Amino acid sequence: MEAAIADSTYGFLTAVESASHGLFGGYLLVDSVGRPLEFHCTAPVKVSRAQQILYGTTLPGHLHGRQIGATLLAEGTLAPAVVLTDLEAMLTVRPHTNLPVVLVRPVGAGGGAEATFLVGGASVSPGGSDASLQETLRQHLEALAVTVDLSEPFGRIRAAIEEAQRH
Amino acid sequence: MADPAHASQTPGLTIRSLRGDAFTLPAAQVLSRSDFHFAPPRSLRLPIAPMRPTVLHVGLLNSPPQVNSFSFPRSSVPAAQVPRRPRPAPEAVSPDIPATAAEPATQATQASRQAPPPDAPPQPARIVPPRDVVKLSERFFFLLQPDLETQLHTSQLDFPRTPFPFQLDGMAFLMPRHGAVLADEMGLGKSMQAISSLRLLLRSGGARRVLVVCPKGLVSNWVRELGDWAPELLVTVVEGDPGRRRWLWSLPDVPVKLANYEMVVRDREMVAELGLEFDLVVLDEAQRIKNSSSQTNVAVCELKRKRSWALTGTPVENSADDLVGLFEFVAPGHLHQRMSPRAMGSAVVDHVLRRTKDKVLKDLPPRLNRDERIELSAQQRETYRRAEEEGVLRLAGMGREATIQNVFELVLRLKQVCNFDTATGASAKLDCLEAELDEIHSSGKKSLVFSQWVETIGRLKTRLSRFGALEYHGGMSTAARDEAIRQFKHDSAHSVLLLSYGAGAVGLNLQFSQYVFLFDRWWNPAIEDQAINRAHRIGAAGAVTVTRYLSVDTIEERIDEVLRRKRDLSELILSETGSPEASGLTVHDLFALFKLPPPTRAAAA
Repeated sequence: MEAAIADSTYGFLTAVESASHGLFGGYLLVDSVGRPLEFHCTAPVKVSRAQQILYGTTLPGHLHGRQIGATLLAEGTLAPAVVLTDLEAMLTVRPHTNLPVVLVRPVGAGGGAEATFLVGGASVSPGGSDASLQETLRQHLEALAVTVDLSEPFGRIRAAIEEAQRH
Repeated sequence: MADPAHASQTPGLTIRSLRGDAFTLPAAQVLSRSDFHFAPPRSLRLPIAPMRPTVLHVGLLNSPPQVNSFSFPRSSVPAAQVPRRPRPAPEAVSPDIPATAAEPATQATQASRQAPPPDAPPQPARIVPPRDVVKLSERFFFLLQPDLETQLHTSQLDFPRTPFPFQLDGMAFLMPRHGAVLADEMGLGKSMQAISSLRLLLRSGGARRVLVVCPKGLVSNWVRELGDWAPELLVTVVEGDPGRRRWLWSLPDVPVKLANYEMVVRDREMVAELGLEFDLVVLDEAQRIKNSSSQTNVAVCELKRKRSWALTGTPVENSADDLVGLFEFVAPGHLHQRMSPRAMGSAVVDHVLRRTKDKVLKDLPPRLNRDERIELSAQQRETYRRAEEEGVLRLAGMGREATIQNVFELVLRLKQVCNFDTATGASAKLDCLEAELDEIHSSGKKSLVFSQWVETIGRLKTRLSRFGALEYHGGMSTAARDEAIRQFKHDSAHSVLLLSYGAGAVGLNLQFSQYVFLFDRWWNPAIEDQAINRAHRIGAAGAVTVTRYLSVDTIEERIDEVLRRKRDLSELILSETGSPEASGLTVHDLFALFKLPPPTRAAAA
């Protein structure tokens, strides 16, 4: 099991809102010591006022989960052991993928689902159906957290998206 | 309905219906216009054709957004083989040294780096791609790496000690750059930063063939440093007869080759003939190539390479043109000689990283400078007076035909008299030095004494033998010099090391010495600083006292005056402010030392 975990890859999925461009999505795949293997980012998705009205409360889930999240996960050539996200809306990607998805937040930042557990100073909440995988997910994430701050790769994604906007 | 009779008698408004019925409102009730609205339309038109409503199409969010994908080279060490070592707590990196601000390396100049608030936690050093990395995929490669501390902890690399935060910043600066000048003040660990960076590059697959070029006297020092900071790397020193050198140059599986400048010049054609290409060439003491037309500059610039890093504590020794020579290697065409210092400073800001000890090592023991003004002995004064009068008379007699060499010879002769009276061997400086060393020796401390001349070093050694004085100069073999360093370091019977500026000013780590004496002055303050920083560097155990001897009312005082004017030139350029007033001991300066007119152009040449 330990060797399998050490060989695992991990996905970090987030989105960045830009007032002028719209919503960018970023998906970073790293190895078990945090080194980047793949990076995928979307062109910005801009939502009109009419779309906001039409989609209503379903918009965040549709936008993050189906539009951005599912598209990005489909582009990855590596299958991560788990996909981590720092946006609750991104958990809605789960019906569109076979990969387990967890929400990672600093301890005390809320998101207290029943299955929440702590790993390396972060609070981890598996998305809906993945709660049953809690023990496996915990083992993977605890191995990763030895060398990687679980919240840190999201900062890398944001920096890369900012760079893409400047480029 | 109103009564008609009553309506005809009462003033007011009478209204009749179509059937003839009428009623009248009393005047008092129709005073306000708002009581009546009676404006029947003159005509009413109704549309006959059916109306077409405008249909607005609101697109649904169905089509997936465009995705850009990037994949990155795998490390040569699979993640499964990397030992799991817990991440360090931020404050555990270096508790005794204040961290530098971890700003993007693209802004990493001394001028732009500000110390963080005292209670701010150290920020991890991140690699920020420089401006010359244009491709988005390459920029992402750097941006998406873990911070440097994490990389070091996961790269299976052991270090003899934890790098200081500013050294991690230096590595984050070097690693992504194809052209870089690490211009830290002497003693801040430029070699260690370069070795650790090239080690990480080799480990990550970013480089496979590295060439390090250094002065001949520092080859063994580099071998030692590479052994300390990158013990797993196979290093080959290119030396020996031409046949052996050809074989060493062409060894395919050696990641790091080490050669001295003279060897690179000598083997210029051989290297070209073998078609050698390097992923990285590192020049140590890179001020060696400041002269663009020198053979050394030409030879290193001809080396085929992808990355060019230059290490020097003195990127500008004499004039701004020094930097132009350096940049012909680092980033060809980036600078030219007609640029103003300010423009030059601006142009190099993304390529040069310079930190000074007072900025990054606030806890380094202080350096105490004192200028010891020495009155020449009576015999020395008389010899000096005669030598100067005769020399000046001779130069004056030559008029504008006097050459720079003529003046230089006189300067050297007078400086030698300031050290020792040529006739009697008397030396006021040595009398003073001996007295000071007596006290230092008794306290068990160690001293470095620098001189321009090997002959002076020989005389000093004889007179200072009771302190176990050892020599270190270019006239000795590398093995003999290494042995001298070893004895000085480990044997308490040897408390004095006598060094020439040429051999001893660069690359040596002698931080266990607490006293430095400049027996005579070098032409350039940067070289003197380098000499002083052999002792005043990381690891220094206590305050370092620097004594500079100056013979009163002699050529030494006049030279000191010129050197003071040029001391700040380097900082002027690197801080992008002001303009240099003096460019060191020029031909004009040398003639002015004796109040002589400058030579004709032909004579000067």
